[in-house]
Amino acid sequence: MRAKNQRMTLVLLGMGAMLIAALLAMWGLRDRAALFLSPGDLRTRSVPAGQAVRIGGMVRPGSLVRAPDGVSLSFVVGDDTPRTVPVSFRGVPPDLFREGSGVIAEGSFAPDGRFVAAELLAKHDENYKPPDKVAAAHRTETLR
Amino acid sequence: MHALANPARFLSFARPLTPWLGWGGAALLGASLFGGLFLSPRDYLQGETVRIMYVHVPTAWLGMGGWAALAAASASHLVWRHTLAGIAARAIAVPGAVMTALALATGAIWGRPTWGTWWEWDGRLTSMLLLFFLYCGYLALNAAERERGGEAKLSAIFGLVGAVNLPVIHFSVIWWNTLHQPPSLTTEGSAIDASIAWPLLGSTIGFTLLFAAIVLMRMRAILGQARFAARLRRAAA
Amino acid sequence: MNHWPFVIAAYVLTLGATGVLTLASLRAMRRDEGRAEALRRP
Repeated sequence: MRAKNQRMTLVLLGMGAMLIAALLAMWGLRDRAALFLSPGDLRTRSVPAGQAVRIGGMVRPGSLVRAPDGVSLSFVVGDDTPRTVPVSFRGVPPDLFREGSGVIAEGSFAPDGRFVAAELLAKHDENYKPPDKVAAAHRTETLR
Repeated sequence: MHALANPARFLSFARPLTPWLGWGGAALLGASLFGGLFLSPRDYLQGETVRIMYVHVPTAWLGMGGWAALAAASASHLVWRHTLAGIAARAIAVPGAVMTALALATGAIWGRPTWGTWWEWDGRLTSMLLLFFLYCGYLALNAAERERGGEAKLSAIFGLVGAVNLPVIHFSVIWWNTLHQPPSLTTEGSAIDASIAWPLLGSTIGFTLLFAAIVLMRMRAILGQARFAARLRRAAA
Repeated sequence: MNHWPFVIAAYVLTLGATGVLTLASLRAMRRDEGRAEALRRP
């Protein structure tokens, strides 16, 4: 085998090994690298009340209730599993926060199982459309 | 490809190519960004902030594509010992780092009005920040190696190792729950309406051509330095 | 929230940095190629 073929084999083997190592490491990280827990994740993972955590999912259409005081709101977060989480929040939500859209809530669970959010982030989906081409009401299909 | 490894032959086509790529890229970029700012419609949800995509997506693509090219040049430097490949890798590093930094900055500017935060340590944002640090590490390592007059073999290996981060960046939004949205352009089609997508296509190609021109300019500068040093030595001898 | 300041900031930043990078690379190329050319043997 000529020297440059040897070097080529070495480089290819090295790249392959590193790629496999990285993929294994990422697989090991998959739970901890998640930015938030979806309602489906909460079936298998119990989060004690009061512990700081992020949950994320879809704001269920029709679930958003704004309190008369103008700064409190509550809504229900769901995903493609039957499980849902009721969330309450006091403050100004981001512009893109709306029903049928993705949301990430930072906060903790109250003892009664309601999630009290200290901060809300709106998740944007992958769809880009001009206003005149939106026929139906906004609905995000994918959770991610 | 091996014919290009000869610096004289490389220069004979790089010299006329540089202005074509530079002016062509700048013109296409200018036209596309004008279209993106004033002609294309706003998004039904994001409003006007969708226009940030026309600078964010090309810079992110070049930050990642830059490292892919740097890794390919490093591999060819290691396997075939082409000096020109080492020069190409070195010429890509600074523009690649600038593009990655711009992708991070424009992403933060988009995130504030859209998500409600400048920064969040999610998988996509963190792996992209890592790419920026990899560029910085490459530049430092390469400078140190050149100072000692070596072949820059370690930086070439570093370029290959760093390429492992590229699939992580790409798949981060699919593997993990992230704040960043999944890709809009996939093999199954585009989730971006055509009226919004055309300036994006133009600005991506324009930025890429301009990036290629910048890399060629930097390679020509490095070759010029080498010629200067060689002639100086010959004159002294 | 008015979004235009965000859009303008992103464009100014990107075009400014790209412009500086292009001009710096162009100047370095002209300088280094010129210096090598000046030493060329007749």
